[in-house]
Amino acid sequence: MKRTGFLAVALVVALFWSLVPIYWFCRMAFLTPLEIQHYPWPLIPHAPNPAAFYNIFGFRYVLSGNLVSPASGQAAQIIRGLKDSFLVSLIVMVVTLAITLPLAYMFARMEFRYKNSLLFAILFAVALPPVSTLIPFYAMYVRLGLAGTLSGLVIVDLTLTVPFVTWMLIGYFRNLPPIERLAWMDGYGRLAAFVRLVLPLARSGVAVAAVIAFLFAWNEFTYALVLVNGTTANTLPTAVSGFLHQYPEPGNLAASVLITIVPPALVAYFLQRHVSEMNLVDPVR
Amino acid sequence: MASERILPLQSAEEAVATGRRRRALSDTEFALAFGVPVLVFLVLVVAYPLGYAVWMSLHRIMFFGGYRSTFVGLRNFERVLVDAGFWWSSWVTVRLTAEAVVLTMLIGLGLALMLNRTRAARGLTRTLVFLPWCVSTYGAGLMFAYLARGQTGLGTSIAYALGYSQPVDLMTSGLVIEVLAVGAAWTMAPLVAFFLLANLQTIPKRLYDLAALDQLSPLETFWHVTLPPLRYTLFVFASIVTVLTMKLFDFVFVMTGGGPGTASATLTYQIYKISFENLDLGYGAAMSFYLLFLIIASTLLLYLVWGRREVLR
Amino acid sequence: MKRRDFAKLAGGTGLAVMTGPWPVKAANAWSLTASSGKPIYFRGWQYKTDVVQSFVDRYNKTMSGHVDYATITGDYPSIMEQKLIAGSELDVLYGNPSQAARYFDGGWVAPADELPNYAEIKAEFLPNLWDAWTYKGHLLGLSYFATTRGAIHVNLKAYQGAGMSDKDFPKTWDDLYDQIFALNAKGVKTPFLPHWFSEWYGISWAFVFEVLNRGGHIADDKTHKPLLTTNKNDLAYKTLAAWKKLWNSKMVPAEVLTYNEAAFIYAYGSGRYVFSPQQLYDLATFNTKGKSQIAGYDGLLPVQGQSWGLLDSALYLITKRKRPQPVTDDVMRFTSWYGFKDNSGQIAVASRWMQLSMLFSAYKSVMESPDAEARIKQSVARPSDARVVLDLYKATPFPSAIWKVAWSEEYNSWLKESLANFLLQNGDIESFIKSSNDKITALNEKYGI
Repeated sequence: MKRTGFLAVALVVALFWSLVPIYWFCRMAFLTPLEIQHYPWPLIPHAPNPAAFYNIFGFRYVLSGNLVSPASGQAAQIIRGLKDSFLVSLIVMVVTLAITLPLAYMFARMEFRYKNSLLFAILFAVALPPVSTLIPFYAMYVRLGLAGTLSGLVIVDLTLTVPFVTWMLIGYFRNLPPIERLAWMDGYGRLAAFVRLVLPLARSGVAVAAVIAFLFAWNEFTYALVLVNGTTANTLPTAVSGFLHQYPEPGNLAASVLITIVPPALVAYFLQRHVSEMNLVDPVR
Repeated sequence: MASERILPLQSAEEAVATGRRRRALSDTEFALAFGVPVLVFLVLVVAYPLGYAVWMSLHRIMFFGGYRSTFVGLRNFERVLVDAGFWWSSWVTVRLTAEAVVLTMLIGLGLALMLNRTRAARGLTRTLVFLPWCVSTYGAGLMFAYLARGQTGLGTSIAYALGYSQPVDLMTSGLVIEVLAVGAAWTMAPLVAFFLLANLQTIPKRLYDLAALDQLSPLETFWHVTLPPLRYTLFVFASIVTVLTMKLFDFVFVMTGGGPGTASATLTYQIYKISFENLDLGYGAAMSFYLLFLIIASTLLLYLVWGRREVLR
Repeated sequence: MKRRDFAKLAGGTGLAVMTGPWPVKAANAWSLTASSGKPIYFRGWQYKTDVVQSFVDRYNKTMSGHVDYATITGDYPSIMEQKLIAGSELDVLYGNPSQAARYFDGGWVAPADELPNYAEIKAEFLPNLWDAWTYKGHLLGLSYFATTRGAIHVNLKAYQGAGMSDKDFPKTWDDLYDQIFALNAKGVKTPFLPHWFSEWYGISWAFVFEVLNRGGHIADDKTHKPLLTTNKNDLAYKTLAAWKKLWNSKMVPAEVLTYNEAAFIYAYGSGRYVFSPQQLYDLATFNTKGKSQIAGYDGLLPVQGQSWGLLDSALYLITKRKRPQPVTDDVMRFTSWYGFKDNSGQIAVASRWMQLSMLFSAYKSVMESPDAEARIKQSVARPSDARVVLDLYKATPFPSAIWKVAWSEEYNSWLKESLANFLLQNGDIESFIKSSNDKITALNEKYGI
């Protein structure tokens, strides 16, 4: 009983830790400007309203007392941002998987010349801070006509996801039972063994890699701020940050940040199922 | 197709049973087939900007009175070393990283242990605990700014609810780095927790039964049974979190803008300011190579003092 | 003869008051209709974007334009600079005068004198903004807005609650600080929210306007040589001494140094503070029910011998990126339609901003219209404050010495960081003044001034 009690407390603490920062900020989405300016902020909003969610998608909302909360001028950019972000993130996710799975497998399981120097090259790419390649990228993109395009953003996102995911998957593949060695000794081709045996076995790893690639692309802000900011290829993060400056609309800012969390949260829900499926590995050991 | 759904060993047997024979690619051939395209991509896309950055770091670039660049050799690199702002920012970066890594690993471990035991509403609990990783770093920057400020902070609201009437302001020059570290740990810990959780689930239950037979205390059980299979993951993530924190920019940019003053001016922020605001591109590029060096050196150090032992295991 | 033509002949001596819509044909028969069929890229920071979009839509619809409008977020001046350097898709943009001067020196923006209706525009200009926006003999752009940043707003409810009334209003910065400390001694916990937030127009501008208001000069208007001295009576010295005293009193929350503008406005709007230097036009917001906690109680310190704040303004700038001549012609047409008079001869956009947000304009006919007067009256807490608004705006100084120069933005970012560190590290006033002078000297050398 004592253990259960302890666990319950731990659970509550963990949930508080995870949710309070989100709650504290996103509650602004349900408040009027007047309530947001209240000092100190009440712990629980008195009369939450959904106005901000209407506003950021371009609809006005009439509050009680006939106060009108007007549609936000950022609505077009938010909608465009949602669309573009989905597109970019999905493409980045698929391409990242296609590239990193064989690459990581190769590094984890095979011996070949220059392996260590190649591994180091990938580590090096992970270490590269975006602020130092920002201006070169921009200069290069302007020259190639890639500035302000979604394909440009996909490429730049891949430079983040590919090294990172590869690095992580290498460790993951190392931990898998060496099942394919058995298989290709018995006549399976390398590729066939990889596709038909390793990948199904590694589906949790694939799922995690997919989620990470998706999230990296979905949340990428620094490059987007410079490369596509103010162009027709605007992703959600830059659109959302429009609420930050000059003319403050904290309610709309909070509402749009909340919206950016929803798709990855759904993705995360599927991820956690895969984590539990990792149990399957157990009996083989 | 159905064979993919069942246990791997069986599918291997089935594969053997089908008896298809194909010439096996050698390791090197496989590596060539899959590795080369990726490496070409990496070289094209990463090496060009990198080379460009090297070029910038060796030049003085002027935009006013007509664009011109003059070769200055290593002067930009020398200038960095005598720049007090650079040393301050390096210190901020190291302090932030050390704190963020320790916090992330501890919290990640705590979350993993908790999730491993929790049976109730498992899917929901895990999703909720994972939620902070879904929040972008700029979003997290906003959240922690509102959370930590005296004007809008949680601390202030609680203080007033308890009858005090003083704001609780954490965005002070003494505490701001700690607030940043907590925020960074908040976004990164769930990922660590999930990988540790996967590890934890591979620990056979009979090991715990044995530990109970040997009458090990909970701490001893944790140390001898739970921790060993986690150590490699812990090392990998300590490295990853080190790199991610040192690269962190938008979080700092949105949350504190390097402030108050330069109290939270990380190297990334400093480089951004020099390159973008002062348009001192050569100098900014030179400083960014010091940052790169710092990142590589820290991960290497981590590997030498810790990782080597884990990898050899 | 039309009245407007008369005004032109009269040399624009303030007679150009609009009385109604004019026929479509402009005096010089310059058609504002777009003709190239190519898109024009119009970019700005995020301020009431729905309004901007509606204007752009109207232009596109009525003048067969292809104007593409979007906002640039984040660190506006530097991101814009990158885009200008790269020559990326950008034709018309917002800019503060300090940025405009820098962009002009970088060779990235074209002066507004290249517009065919330049003479007509010139005739409409009010002298204060003409001075602020002309650089090296060129008009840098057309009028977006003008206002006073750093007008001292007074939370009248809190002020009267502390037993004070209008006759106690401080007349100078020194008076103001004295009163802040007196109020604090009386038990008012947070009498003042200083303009120390972390934006490019935050703490650095606070220093600039306080020195200007006190009558000081940071640098010379013409030569841009540094002028501060370490004499205790130097006005910058006095400013820094006052800041230091205020900071050390712990009356000001340290977090203000990390505020963005939203946090800064909302902190004052919460009613916690008695005085705060804010945007003049935000008077309208603060006095609107449902928008702030001090609606109906937001007043201003009047000018009683000393000015408050500085002239904050923005222009529509035209880039010099490579584009075919017909597109450039369209850019000129759109800029003129948007930044000056539309096809019906109305200064429509500027008038609308006045009505909507009390943004002032460089154009006489906007400022002198009865509508403007009505708007100002509508946004003040008490009828007598309308006069205060206009007097305050009229007295507002412009920091030519440090804004009409190529290094404006660089000095500004140095100032922003150094001032915050000066407070946090209990810096030495003399060494701050010396380093400011050194910085300006170094910048003059760097830019060959």
